[in-house]
Amino acid sequence: MQQTDDCACSDAKIAVRDLTKMYGDLTVLDKVNFTIKRGELVCIVGPTGCGKTTFLNCMSKLTETTSGNIYIDGEVANPRKHNLAFVFQEPTALPWLTVEENVAYGMRIKKVPPKQLRERLDMILEMVGLEDTAKLYPNQVSASMMQRIAVARAFAVNPDLLLMDEPYGQLDVKLRFYLEDELVKLRFYLEDELVKLWQTLKSTVLFVTHNIEEAVYVADRILVLSPKPTKVRAEVVVDLPRPRDFRDPRFVELRRQVTDLIRWW
Amino acid sequence: MQCNEKVTYRKPMRLRILPVLSVCIFLGVWQLCVGPADSNDWRIPGTLLSSPYDILSLMFDKLTNPAPDGAVLLEHAWTSMQEAFLGYVLALIVGLPLGLAMGWFTTVRGLVRPIFEIIRPIPPVAWIPLTIFWFGIGLPGKVFIIWLSGIVPCVINTYTGVRMTNPVHIQMARTYGASDWQIFTSICVPSALPMVFGALQIALAYCWVTLVAAELLAADKGLGYLITIGRMLGRTDLVMVGMVSVGIAGAIIGFIIDKIESRLLAGIRR
Repeated sequence: MQQTDDCACSDAKIAVRDLTKMYGDLTVLDKVNFTIKRGELVCIVGPTGCGKTTFLNCMSKLTETTSGNIYIDGEVANPRKHNLAFVFQEPTALPWLTVEENVAYGMRIKKVPPKQLRERLDMILEMVGLEDTAKLYPNQVSASMMQRIAVARAFAVNPDLLLMDEPYGQLDVKLRFYLEDELVKLRFYLEDELVKLWQTLKSTVLFVTHNIEEAVYVADRILVLSPKPTKVRAEVVVDLPRPRDFRDPRFVELRRQVTDLIRWW
Repeated sequence: MQCNEKVTYRKPMRLRILPVLSVCIFLGVWQLCVGPADSNDWRIPGTLLSSPYDILSLMFDKLTNPAPDGAVLLEHAWTSMQEAFLGYVLALIVGLPLGLAMGWFTTVRGLVRPIFEIIRPIPPVAWIPLTIFWFGIGLPGKVFIIWLSGIVPCVINTYTGVRMTNPVHIQMARTYGASDWQIFTSICVPSALPMVFGALQIALAYCWVTLVAAELLAADKGLGYLITIGRMLGRTDLVMVGMVSVGIAGAIIGFIIDKIESRLLAGIRR
């Protein structure tokens, strides 16, 4: 299984080849194929229940795949060897560690030398605006800060591949509620922060969301999944300049295009 | 600050008066109901139940007087506490790591669980005859019995604590490539800590209760022994002095553990 697939071309950081997952007779993922270039931010959108979480679990090797494989730099992905990071939908800050210790957790597991760990930690904490709350415990900070802890922890390990499972899915309803009339630039505050981290650290990110507007806002490329058995139905390249404006006619057009692709069946 | 003081002060006013009142009434009624040893009226004869006054005066007397059982009260209490703490500490040393390991490592769970499940339902008191054969009636035998009774809640609590670890935390650690050992030490053990502290409390209570039972059957000193001697001499007051001493000492130990726990847990949970 270690052989390099000929499709895993040199500029592709991540190559997914015929990824299939079956639960008994139920085919959840049916020969999913795609590649992600180094430093690319790819979004995955799809109808509810199309197996997005199963897909991410296969990507992160939390679940065994039935067949097919995921290659990182031409090698079969392995969390013990490759640098993977996963931001879950639910809060995963460890309640017994301070904000700072939580952000450093991934680096501790990967045994980053103390000096380098400190430098990266300070840089990341500053970028996500958590320096003031570094010594607090997670139950003393807000829900959006909890999720920023998880995002910061993921970026801190300098991952080969960063997987994000609707990281802001449980927050955006609340944000929208009172931001609708507020300054427009506040609207995707957390997403802006994500883009800033991604641009600065040049990570490769796979971002799963059900929010099409969010996908068009952050992605270089959007993969649209079909309902079960899941395949990659279409690929939409988002070549809008950053920072993006969701009132831009081209933005609206892309959003409509993606929405239609999801509604297609 | 002011606000805080008000909230914590108001409730205890009632809670401060009522317990004193209930204890006074209880002791008063008890005192009235107990008559002298040869009483023929409605009162309970002193041979069946000693009055609070008699118990208290005998307790003071026993502080300095070794007769008739050969040791003063504090000596008995000290012997009992030594045995209880030795058994308790040994139970923690073996039980906590064992429970934690059983919670996370399948091999340990598979190996230990069946044996543990068979030994667990045997009451520690049932071990007393064997213990006397093996260790005699000295300190080691009692420590062994107490150890047996303390280890059960240690294992069960810490095991449950580890099993209750949030699975998303474990998945999160796995995606960072954490080894089984790293997940165990950095996720499972901290998650189980509140349950571990629960185990400290329960195990101590078990140890103290078993201690008295162990001493009732096999001892030459200790609070349980005091009760046994009282029975053999037909001294109701001596029996009750032993009982009251066990109660008071147990309450004091529980209070101390409570204080330590709330302080330590405050540091962990904030």
